[in-house]
Amino acid sequence: MFSTLKEKVGEVLLPGDEFSFDTDDTISLTEHVKPEKVVCGPGLRRSGDRLVVCKSGVLRHKQPNLFWIESQQRRYVPAKGETIIGIVTIKSGDVFKVDFGGSEQASLSYLAFEGATKRNRPNVQVGDLVFAQFAIANKDMEPELVCIDSSGRANGMGVFGGGGLLFKVSLGLVRRLLTPHSEIRSDLDQLFPCELVVGMNGRVWVKSSSIQQSLIITNLLQSSDTMTASQRQQLFQRVKQGPL
Amino acid sequence: VHPPCFVQPRTAEPLEYHRSFLKENCRSDGRELSEFRATTLNIGSISTADGSALVKVGNTTVICGIKAELTNTTVETPGKGYIVPNVDLPPLCSSRFRPGPPGEQAQAASQFIADVIESSEVIQTEDLCIERGKLCWVLYCDIMCLDYDGNVLDACIIALLAALKNTKLPEVIINTETSTPEVNLEKKQSLHIHKHPVGASFCVFDDSILIVDPTSEEESLSTAQLTVVTDEEGQLCSLHKPGGTSLPGEKLQECISRATTRQREIQKLVDKVINSVKTAQ
Amino acid sequence: MMEVCGSSNVTLREFGCEQSLLSRPDGSASFIQGDTSVMAGVYGPAEVKVSKEIYDRATLEVLIQPKVGLPSVRERSQEQCVRETCEASLLLSLHPRSSLTLILQVLHDDGSLLSCFLNAACMALMDAGLPMSCLFCGVTCAIDADGQIITDPTAAQEKQSRALMTFAIDSTEHRVMMSSTKGSFSVYELQQCIAVSQKASEKIFQFYRDSVRRRYSKTL
Repeated sequence: MFSTLKEKVGEVLLPGDEFSFDTDDTISLTEHVKPEKVVCGPGLRRSGDRLVVCKSGVLRHKQPNLFWIESQQRRYVPAKGETIIGIVTIKSGDVFKVDFGGSEQASLSYLAFEGATKRNRPNVQVGDLVFAQFAIANKDMEPELVCIDSSGRANGMGVFGGGGLLFKVSLGLVRRLLTPHSEIRSDLDQLFPCELVVGMNGRVWVKSSSIQQSLIITNLLQSSDTMTASQRQQLFQRVKQGPL
Repeated sequence: VHPPCFVQPRTAEPLEYHRSFLKENCRSDGRELSEFRATTLNIGSISTADGSALVKVGNTTVICGIKAELTNTTVETPGKGYIVPNVDLPPLCSSRFRPGPPGEQAQAASQFIADVIESSEVIQTEDLCIERGKLCWVLYCDIMCLDYDGNVLDACIIALLAALKNTKLPEVIINTETSTPEVNLEKKQSLHIHKHPVGASFCVFDDSILIVDPTSEEESLSTAQLTVVTDEEGQLCSLHKPGGTSLPGEKLQECISRATTRQREIQKLVDKVINSVKTAQ
Repeated sequence: MMEVCGSSNVTLREFGCEQSLLSRPDGSASFIQGDTSVMAGVYGPAEVKVSKEIYDRATLEVLIQPKVGLPSVRERSQEQCVRETCEASLLLSLHPRSSLTLILQVLHDDGSLLSCFLNAACMALMDAGLPMSCLFCGVTCAIDADGQIITDPTAAQEKQSRALMTFAIDSTEHRVMMSSTKGSFSVYELQQCIAVSQKASEKIFQFYRDSVRRRYSKTL
C-alpha cells in the first residue's frame, strides 16, 4: 500500500478513494520484515484495513511515512498547538470569549498571559485582537486558548497593539505563507518592509509604513490565492515598478 | 420465537438492545423481520364527511376524511377535477411534533401522498368533471395521525384508499334554464376506484438488515427508510427512499416482492370491510 | 440482473461546474446540466442553535430556493431527499454540536432538477472541505410512451414521459442511496433504470474528478 500511496503523491484525490493495506503475498522467513506504518494527516482516515480519503485535494507526503490531503478549505477547525488570531467578544469573570472563526467561541483565561497574576490582570478589552495558541482543541470540548508557551513566556503571543489591518485569506494560502521557505513571503519581502502576523485560522494582520502600502499587501495576498507562481511573480514585479 | 436470554436495558442502549434481537432474527416486539403489525380498518367513522376511514397499524392510528366540494375547473385542465391531499401530524400524536405550521415530515408526507395519487391514478380526475370547462368536484382528503408509532406513510395510503372507496358523491344536474347546478342528495354514487395502491415501508438497520413496518423507535435508530407502493397489477407506483445508506439491488428486489404480497393482503382487507358494511345496511 | 440490455452508451446533456465562486460561504458550487442550472452554498461547521443541537453529530439543514416565489411543499420534500442523502455521505460525527447549512438556489429549471440539486450539493460540500465517506451523484431517468429510457431529460421530455425516476448513486459501491419516482412502471423497467443510472454515475463521477483536478491545477 505504501507504494500505491506514494505513486499518487501530488495527484488530486476525491472523498471515497480507497487504498487497501494488502500485505505482501510472500512471507520472508529469514529476514525480519518491518510492517510498514502510515501516519494519516488531515483528509485521510483509517477504516478497518483500508485507508479512505475524506476530503478533496492534493495528496502530499513527508518523509518517512506521513501522508495528508492538502485542500482549499475556508472554514477553520481548531487543532491543538496551532496559533490563531482571535477577536475578544465577551469579558466574563475569569475568562474571555474569543471568536476565531470556528464553530464555537474559544475561552481564554486572564491568567494565560505572560506575567499575569490574580492581582496583575492583563489589559484586554472587548474588541481587541489576540494572537494565541490552542491548549485544548478537540471535537467534544470547548476549545481553550493561551497566550503563553509551555515555559510561561509570551513568545510573540498576546494582545495586538494599535494600527494595522486584519483581513481573511483561504486556509491553503495561510499554510503556504507559513512553510519554512515560503516563496510568497520572499516575494513580498522584496516589495516593502512590513509586519505580518499570520493566524492558522485564515486571518492575517498586516502593518506597514503607510495605510496605502498595507492595502496593497492585502490585495496582493488575497489575489495570489488563485494564481500560479509565475503569474504571482509577474504581478509583484508590476507593483514594484509601479508609481509608488 | 425465542427471545435472547440476555438483553441490554432498553433505555440506556437502545441501539444495542435492538441489535441483540436482530441477531436472533426477531424484533423486540416479537415480530419476525418481514412481519407487519396487525392492521385494522374501520370505514365511515366520520358521519359528517363524504367518506372516511380509520386505520390502525399496530399502535399507529390514522384517520382520513374526504370532503367533496363543487368548484370551477381550472383553465389548464378544463376536463378534470382535482384532489387535494393533506397530511397532518399534530402534537397530539407524538412528542416529536410541535404545535405551529406543519413540519418537514408532515409536508413531505403530504407531497408523497399527492405523488402516489397522481402516479397510481387511483381516481381518474376526468371522473370528477361535471361540465367541461365549468364545474367539477374537488376532493379534500384530510389525513390526520392520532397516534404516531412509526410507518405513518403506509397507514396514510390505506386510510386514503379505504376512504375513497367509502366516498359517495351526490348527483349534480345543471339546470339548463338558470344554468345553476342542482344537487340531488337522494341519488348518491360511489367513486370509481381504478387502482388500489398499497405501500410497504422498510427500515435498514446497520446498513444491511432489512425490517418491515418499523415502529417509531426503530425508525429513529435506522440508517435508511424506504417505501414501495404497488398496485394490483404488480406495477410500481412509487419507490420512495429519501436518502440514507445505500441499498444493493437484491435487497430492493426483496422489498418489492414483500410489497406485492402486502398489496394483496390489504386489498382483501379493504374489500372485506367495504362488503361487511354494505351487507349490514 | 443489473445489466443494461442494448443501450450501452448513456447520453447526458452538457455538464458544467464551477467551485468556490462565491466569496461569503465556506463552500460553493454551481452545477449546470444542459439548461438546468443550480447554485449551491455551504456554511459550516458553524455555531448551532441550542434547540437544534445534537450532542454526537452536526446538524445539517438544507434550504431550497425556487426561482420565483417562496418554497412550497414540493421543495420541502426535495429538501428532505437532499438532506438525508448528504447525511449518509458526510461524516457528521466528526463535528458534533455544530451546524451545517446547505442552500440550493434554482437558477433555471429545464428538467432533471432534483439530480442537479444533488450534484450541486455534492460539489459544494466537497468545496467546503467537509469530511465525507463517499461521494454521490443524481441521475434522472424518464420512460417515454414507447418504453425508451431517456437519461437526464429536459423539461419537455419529462412532460411527455410516462414515468420519471431520480436516483442518488454513491461513488464507492454504485448503489442506490436515494430514490424518488413519479408515474407507474414495472419492476423490470425499474431495474433497467437503476442499471442505466449506475452507468451514468460513472460518467458523472469522472466529471467530478476532472473539475476538481482543474480547480487544483494551479497548486499542483
